[in-house]
Amino acid sequence: MSEKFLEVSGLGMRFGGITAIDNLGFSVEYGEIRGVIGPNGAGKTTTFNVISGFYKPTAGSVRLRGETISGLRMYEVARRGIVRTFQHSTLFTEMTVMENVLVGTHMRYRPNIFSSIVGRDAEDRRRARTRATESLEFFGLLERASDRAADLPHGHQRALGLAIALAAQPEVMLLDEPFAGMNPEETKSMMSLMFKLRDSGVTILIVEHDMRAIMGICDYITVMNFGRLLAEGRPEEIRTDPAVVEAYLGSARDVA
Amino acid sequence: MVELLAQTGLNAIYAAAYMSLVAVGLVLVFGVLGVINFAHGELFMIGAYVVVAVFADFQMPYVLAAAAALVFVGAVGVLMERAMFAPLRENPLGGLVASIGFLLICQALVSVQFGVRMEHVPPVTQEVIVISEKVRLPVHRLTVILASIALLSSLWIFLRKSKFGWALRASSQDREAASLQGISISRISIIAMFIGGALAGIAGALTAPLISVNPHMGHSVIVAAFIVIIVGGVGSLEGAVVASIAYAFVHTVITTFWDGVIADIVGLALMLAVLIVKPTGLFGTADRA
Amino acid sequence: MRSFPGRAGVWLGFLALLLLLPHALSYSQQEILVFLTINILLVVSYRLLTLTGEWSLGHAVIMGVGAYASALYTKELGIFVPASMILGACTAALVALVLSYPLFRMKGFYFLIGSFAAGEIIRLLWKRFREPFGGPKGLKRIDPMPDFDIAVWRFDFFEPVSYYYFAAAVVGFSLWLMRRIERSPVGLTFHAVHWQDKLAEASGVNVRAYRTLAFVIASGFAGLSGALLAHYIGAVNPNMFDLELMVFILTWTIIGGTATIYGPVIGCIALTIINEIVLREIGLEQMRPFVYGLLLIVSVLFLPKGLESLVQKGLARVARAKRGEES
Repeated sequence: MSEKFLEVSGLGMRFGGITAIDNLGFSVEYGEIRGVIGPNGAGKTTTFNVISGFYKPTAGSVRLRGETISGLRMYEVARRGIVRTFQHSTLFTEMTVMENVLVGTHMRYRPNIFSSIVGRDAEDRRRARTRATESLEFFGLLERASDRAADLPHGHQRALGLAIALAAQPEVMLLDEPFAGMNPEETKSMMSLMFKLRDSGVTILIVEHDMRAIMGICDYITVMNFGRLLAEGRPEEIRTDPAVVEAYLGSARDVA
Repeated sequence: MVELLAQTGLNAIYAAAYMSLVAVGLVLVFGVLGVINFAHGELFMIGAYVVVAVFADFQMPYVLAAAAALVFVGAVGVLMERAMFAPLRENPLGGLVASIGFLLICQALVSVQFGVRMEHVPPVTQEVIVISEKVRLPVHRLTVILASIALLSSLWIFLRKSKFGWALRASSQDREAASLQGISISRISIIAMFIGGALAGIAGALTAPLISVNPHMGHSVIVAAFIVIIVGGVGSLEGAVVASIAYAFVHTVITTFWDGVIADIVGLALMLAVLIVKPTGLFGTADRA
Repeated sequence: MRSFPGRAGVWLGFLALLLLLPHALSYSQQEILVFLTINILLVVSYRLLTLTGEWSLGHAVIMGVGAYASALYTKELGIFVPASMILGACTAALVALVLSYPLFRMKGFYFLIGSFAAGEIIRLLWKRFREPFGGPKGLKRIDPMPDFDIAVWRFDFFEPVSYYYFAAAVVGFSLWLMRRIERSPVGLTFHAVHWQDKLAEASGVNVRAYRTLAFVIASGFAGLSGALLAHYIGAVNPNMFDLELMVFILTWTIIGGTATIYGPVIGCIALTIINEIVLREIGLEQMRPFVYGLLLIVSVLFLPKGLESLVQKGLARVARAKRGEES
């Protein structure tokens, strides 16, 4: 049996009496763009929260290259190469764009208080800045580097969230609803950024509620419903899968 | 030994009685306004000074003085809510800081008016119920216990049966949901501050003839009240009463058999232990607060 | 071309002012100046603690830990005074490190109350145990700084002017260190933890370790300020570090503002001037709590960003005016 790159197996998450995830299993290949979709309340975001270390699963495990990472704290998961973004524009709003991204470089150039005081960290600081600049350039934010993050327009704020994650040079990026609240134009440019990210060697997992946005970019899609795996396959297979169609129509009926 | 225990028990019941009044008010205010009122001990102190003024200085009947303390300190509570907590509704840390400012103002004003020295309030009654040779219950202490039971039961009935009580409980559970249901947060906050202030004031008035009244007496009261509300589970009025009783017993027993300072240390350590085991905050990670 | 007198010139002028200042003051004002200098270190260290977003109510007691520790090291172990001050600061930092394990399980109000409880316990221990803390009366006859000579200058540290120079040098160096920390990547991480601890953690920041770091460093400097105080007054007791001092720290910090390092300094200086000069002149010293309380409320209600925000506005106006001249 070959070792999977990122593998979720037998995952369970219960909050009190409520089961949010039930015996979930799937695996992700290195270098792919994977979508995790499902109707509201399917447990997608909870799955993300477990993978990223925000929650400790009540059953099962998450493994990265064979190493169990479930149960680790969020910063420990991040240090193993899995970096997440958040829903909405979760940023260091009072800090400048550059400072935001510099926080993203924290892991690579772990600051040390003593070398900071005596000034022995000039080389690290310079490299961190270079890394941050590259990340900002990647997302076309360089000219706004000295603006306050709170003053950026919405689309730029979403891009900044990604830039912070990219500055950490992750192997895997977990994107939580990156298209939410975007107009078609912003969606299009966000999609091309994701292709660019993938081509630079980052494996991407996207949680998305809106099925259409995700069809165009994912190599492979995992569909969840009621905390369980419902279907898996290429976008064109998922589109026509009767179980998926039923789940989405069903939930649409519920909502309406 | 049995007699000493019985006497200690009586002392503890008395301490529990006035502590409950203070702690319930503090919890009520915290629940409804979301603010820790650091000046709550000073409301207790003002209540005691109302008795100094009305009963000791002006020689009016004690019952009148106690009633005056209830109304006056309740009104001070309303003043605090209008002047400080209402404008700082979205800033609970600001409310706390403002209440610390208010604490200083109260202490200074009382010091200027009455002097910083201890005030002696003449006893209301010298009568003592002699249960046995070494077990005695001064009548005034019994009055405090009975008054406290009466006040807390009527508050309980008020909270359960009246429309205001329902609104108070609703908004202490979820302020946003309550305001969506058409409850006026501003009105409820005024009522909560009046009740909280009045309870602290009457507690101060009731105990004034039995303890040393001075401008800094609020300090030990607020520390005890913090211990009680944390141990009792923040936001629970019944918990505050139960914790008051438990804390009063522990504190009184340790003071009697060992040392008062040790009793304080044990109380604080107890509170820290509760905070360590159950550190989750009602306010989560709210900015700065 | 850089404008005259330039940055270095401003700093030199400032230094000259600090050196000459005590000679323009009366003896009692010189003593106040010593206390002010020590308090500046205390408030700036408190601001460092608040950088990660948690407000403590134990800082006054932590200052006391430094004071008691340094005093005891000289009394019991005969350690040379300046060395004992540094050891006192280290002790305060160590106590903070131990306290951080329980305290940083808490957040917000609970941290506030928890830090208060932890501080009170320490203070009550001083009060309760005559050995070695001296009980309610505290420690007396603490060794002063030994005299020493530099070239023709003789420093007798019973003289407030001499002690002021010594304290100002120590405080100045400490402030420089804290500023350097804040401007380093470590300081950036402190700010990040404050504004969005979850995002910081997702970027690989061990949030709790950074909160602890800020708490420990701040406590070390608070302990140093306590040691400076102890060896100047020559006595310490539990009531010096009670809630009243904590309220003063909060007042100075909030009235000054916490966004910049000079905010709390401004707050501390402004209130000391109001207190020691204005109130003393008109003979209303016992109204000090009243004035502090009123200022605290007014400041929270009407100037929530503190006095520093006025300075920042002023600086921005000057900068705009300059740009106007150039164009």
